Amino acid sequence: MIQAMVTIATFISVVLFPWPVAVTLALGGALLVPLLPLAAGMFVDTLYYVPHAGALPIFSLFGALVTILAFFVRSRLATGIMSR
Amino acid sequence: MKRTYLAKRNAILSRENLSWGSGALAFALIMLVLRLVAPDAFVASVTPAIRLSQAMTAGSRTFFSSFADAATLSAKNEDLMIQNVAFANENQMLMQKVADLTALFGEVGASTESIVAGVILRPPESPYDTFLVNVGSNSGVTLEMGAFGPGGVPLGSVTEVAEKSARITLFSAPGMHTGGWVGTAKVPLALTGRGGGVLDAVVSRSAPIVVGDIVYMPGPGALPVGSVIRIDSDPTSPSVTLRIQNALNLFSVMWVELRAL
Repeated sequence: MIQAMVTIATFISVVLFPWPVAVTLALGGALLVPLLPLAAGMFVDTLYYVPHAGALPIFSLFGALVTILAFFVRSRLATGIMSR
Repeated sequence: MKRTYLAKRNAILSRENLSWGSGALAFALIMLVLRLVAPDAFVASVTPAIRLSQAMTAGSRTFFSSFADAATLSAKNEDLMIQNVAFANENQMLMQKVADLTALFGEVGASTESIVAGVILRPPESPYDTFLVNVGSNSGVTLEMGAFGPGGVPLGSVTEVAEKSARITLFSAPGMHTGGWVGTAKVPLALTGRGGGVLDAVVSRSAPIVVGDIVYMPGPGALPVGSVIRIDSDPTSPSVTLRIQNALNLFSVMWVELRAL
């Protein structure tokens, strides 16, 4: 249930609120839903990114990085704690 | 032989943990494909949510401003009215001056047709300093058209065009490079976008520039784009870095004028 709420809230905040709110939610939800930062980053870039010289889709790139980190952290934590 | 089944074979990549994440990823991918394949359908699908966002922003602003002190608001209103009258007079004077000069020298660089566009997406929701506007190639918008805000302030250029929408990359977008001038001496500058409506420029330490100097960009003539808000200097460097704030508040730009440069 919490995973659903965090995921939906993050996607809504991408459209409705300034981007730092969405970033905070995605980072906060990363341990619960590891793919969330990548998905949210891609959604931000889909909405707002315009390719031009010197501009990278940084939200997708950082989202992918945070997702990898989240999976790594989860793999290091005791599975008995993480699993319900 | 007895086989052992674990309740959770992989607690890290369990189905429960992946379901919402993979759903979110699938949604993001669908939206990405939609933007690439059918940009107008994409804009149409997100516009209602954006309109709701703008309505919420306006509502919250009204709500919080209702707590402001009435006396302060009244005084501010009076100041603004006085300023408005002063600007109107100044505008009239400048218009007369333009008419006189036009009569003297003729029409220079006669302006081409312009297209008025409504801004759908703008910072701070848009983190890249880009605008999404509601006109596209159907209305005559083409790539590289210049975008001008209220008062003719140069804002950016059109970098992506669909049939019914277009995207404008602002001069303040990270990585954007443009030329310009600063101050009354019109010192030439290479302006670099830093995001959030801020531009940077590196100039020689000996250049006669102070905080508050107006920065211009080429248009028809030199168009004011913002002002120097800070000068960062390193004693070991022969140059200084100017921090330039856009003349307009990008967060509240509702309309832009698009015209060929």
